[in-house]
Amino acid sequence: MHVVAQPLPPFWSLVEAHGPELLGHARRLAGPTEAEDVLQEAFLRALRAYPRLRHGEHLRAWLYRITTNVAFDHAARNGRRRELPLDAASEPVAPPDRAPAAEDDAFAALIGTLPEGTREALALRFVDDLPYDQIARRLGCSPAAARQRVSTAVRTLRGTLAP
Amino acid sequence: MTPAAPLSPAFLDRLATAAVGEGLTDAVYASVSTPVGRLLVVQTAHGVCRIAFAFEPEDRILADVAARIGPRVVASRDATAAARDALAAYLEGEDTELDVPVDLALVRTPFQRTVLEGLRRVPRGSVTTYGELAVAIGRPKATRATGTALGRNPVPIVVPCHRVLPRGGGVGGYGGSVGSYLAGPRVKRALLELEGALPAGDQLNFANGS
Repeated sequence: MHVVAQPLPPFWSLVEAHGPELLGHARRLAGPTEAEDVLQEAFLRALRAYPRLRHGEHLRAWLYRITTNVAFDHAARNGRRRELPLDAASEPVAPPDRAPAAEDDAFAALIGTLPEGTREALALRFVDDLPYDQIARRLGCSPAAARQRVSTAVRTLRGTLAP
Repeated sequence: MTPAAPLSPAFLDRLATAAVGEGLTDAVYASVSTPVGRLLVVQTAHGVCRIAFAFEPEDRILADVAARIGPRVVASRDATAAARDALAAYLEGEDTELDVPVDLALVRTPFQRTVLEGLRRVPRGSVTTYGELAVAIGRPKATRATGTALGRNPVPIVVPCHRVLPRGGGVGGYGGSVGSYLAGPRVKRALLELEGALPAGDQLNFANGS
């Protein structure tokens, strides 16, 4: 007996099932004014890739990942990435004109430079403040792998900020 | 975790419009209220591929569309407006023409396609029988298979399978699923009545279902 791959559900059922919590996630990463733009772009990005998925598993984690990436891209597009050091020898991030409320955005821009796969783990750990078992569930990996990704992210950031 | 409120209709509309505008959809859908109940209308770039009655489970219909046409299935009132308006106007008796492009993508077999295309020669106001239709498409022995093919019509009303009746009287079945057992024949009668083609005396059998 072989396992039949779970078919892809109608895309809109994902929008209805996960849209509200993804909007919350986008709000935490990008702020309330940008959240809907981020989520729309995330769904469009997902829609572009959707037919190429081979099975309908871990779709919620997949959407979280895309939303996280879009939020970081938005932060970068808004110019905050220019404030980041271009190489490890530059000064650490300290945008002088940063408003207190923009701390999340600066954080987003900072971790936007991390390797794919580790930054969403880091965001879930330190932005969403989730425990590792929940991060694992979101990312569709084991808790040990989630912990590994967060620690890789932290190590990379240390290397970037304090060489 | 913060409790998640549903996404706003305005956001969903914007998302759907952007998806349709970018050509990212395999199918779009929305519902329309009509005198025969709420209809789910699903269409591709080529035309309406599925019309479903309220007695058919929407999630199953959309899952079938996703599996057999493509998974990028998006709710869009705008993109389905022309077809929904045409259906509503026809069923309310405002229009006597129902001119809606059809996509037979959900038709499973060449035989079923032949049967459904054979319905073109049964205009509004007239009816035929399963046997006559089987003869008309050149398969005189396939009366029963013709009935089965009609029961699986993915685009009822537009492809007028309601105009095919059993030879023995009554209106016969309609909708082809367990859920349609009671509701189906009622809808079929309403459609025939609208078109002035309800068999005389049929109302007397109303309680019999078929």
